[in-house]
Amino acid sequence: MALIEIENLSVTFTAKGRKVRAVQGVSLSVNERESFGLVGESGSGKSTILRAICGMAPITGGTIRIGGQPLPTPRGRAFSRQVQMVFQDPYASLHPRHTIDRTLSEPLAIHGLADTDARVVQALKDVGLPAAFRFRFPHQLSGGQRQRVAIARALMLEPSILLLDEPTSALDASVQAETLNLLNRLRTERGLTFLMVSHDLAVIDHMCDRVLVMQHGRAVEELARETLAAAGMTTDYARSLFAASADRMLET
Amino acid sequence: MSALTQWLRDPSPQSRLQARLGQSFMGWLRFRRNPLAMAGLAVVLLLLVVAAFAPWLAPYDPIAQNLKLRLLPPLTAGHPLGTDDFGRDILSRLIMGSRITLFIITLVAVTAPLFGMLVGTIAGYFGGWTDEILMRVTDIFLAFPKLILALALVAVLGPGMENAVLAIALTSWPPYARVARAETLTVRNSDYIAAVRLQGAGAARIIWGHVMPMCLPSVIIRVTLDMAGVILIAAGLGFLGLGVQPPMPEWGAMISAGRKYLFEQWWVATMPGLAIFIVSLGFNLLGDGLRDVLDPRNSGK
Repeated sequence: MALIEIENLSVTFTAKGRKVRAVQGVSLSVNERESFGLVGESGSGKSTILRAICGMAPITGGTIRIGGQPLPTPRGRAFSRQVQMVFQDPYASLHPRHTIDRTLSEPLAIHGLADTDARVVQALKDVGLPAAFRFRFPHQLSGGQRQRVAIARALMLEPSILLLDEPTSALDASVQAETLNLLNRLRTERGLTFLMVSHDLAVIDHMCDRVLVMQHGRAVEELARETLAAAGMTTDYARSLFAASADRMLET
Repeated sequence: MSALTQWLRDPSPQSRLQARLGQSFMGWLRFRRNPLAMAGLAVVLLLLVVAAFAPWLAPYDPIAQNLKLRLLPPLTAGHPLGTDDFGRDILSRLIMGSRITLFIITLVAVTAPLFGMLVGTIAGYFGGWTDEILMRVTDIFLAFPKLILALALVAVLGPGMENAVLAIALTSWPPYARVARAETLTVRNSDYIAAVRLQGAGAARIIWGHVMPMCLPSVIIRVTLDMAGVILIAAGLGFLGLGVQPPMPEWGAMISAGRKYLFEQWWVATMPGLAIFIVSLGFNLLGDGLRDVLDPRNSGK
């Protein structure tokens, strides 16, 4: 049985009387320990699916099940221990006035977990940051280091599912590769399930077992990694996306 | 450099306590580099010392009247700042009055911003009906002239210093609520709030621990700007007989008492006016310096 099952999901935002249908009838399922990618251009609704899972977007149709159970609304604490998210922009996702220590110990405090000091030190070590960074503020860190902190924060509650919202698009190329490798290592070490959003097929190719191509809020085509590498997609849109990033995929 | 400063300056502190003390120490170093802020701190410290030792510092009894010595000009032997219309030494009254002034300022500066920030952040964070109701109540408070509303409150509660403080605090929170709400609206949809919500944090934790720290700088600026106004409203209430009662040496009340002699015996109103001016200037400078120190984004420099 799949760990994440999304059936016929629709998300509609209402702003000033106008309705924007961000996601229309998308279905997907992600198996345990699988890494699943969502690709598409800006505004294709891929990030909205992640936000809908987290209860941060208005679901107007369809169901989301995790481990066979439909999600409760509001999501609740059990959900936080099962699903966590890494945001796109590491400059916006860490509280500017909290030290790294505070940022990492907050989830422990919320869930009343003991052993804060040891866990925070271990978390920094797991994402390859020196313990000396513990009491620094986010503005004293580089973009790549901040994203590592954000990953460490997402793993504090030891979730089984990690939602990744373009985790490397705000970073420069060399740091991107490091961060992706870190994520891959953590996935194998901890047996995590990834649901990852990107507009970059090269990143998806490096990370994911299966990909869903999206356009205008609809699913276009689902591809396995082998199909993607062999350029065996059947729709024109997927082929044009592939053409746009093909040269960089050869490098990796 | 001593072992203590070395320990405080350690770039990779070993414990939470060391990190916090180290940050305070670096903050103090930054604060010390700002001469105006240091001047403000000196004024506020002086006010604290004077208030603490008032009975020993005051050369005369601030309430004892001596009509033979009324309205002596400044620099008279024994009365460096002159005497008022009842022959009371103005210097002694200023020194004793610093206690009352400090009491009023502290209470108002703690209660009003805190309450305003609570209302503002709650309204901004929850939005919708909560926001509508809280902000319309704020509008009602804002629509009244401050002094009139304070008057009405004191009239209901009865005259006295505590009630005056309460009335001032109750009338001065709306601007803080407005400022805090505006700041909250800019941070409530940010990723770091979404992240902590996703970790299962409740509204109280998010508002207190994550939203309020972002509102603090703008609120602190407003507080320091409002200091002088607070002293003056307290004075106004005293003048109308609803605040601090007459024989008590409150600075604002002293100004209003001196108003009658403003043209012939200028010092009676000028001396407490100068005291209010210096103290509010001190608080303004101190607040400016504090704001710079409290923002950790400046600490890298």
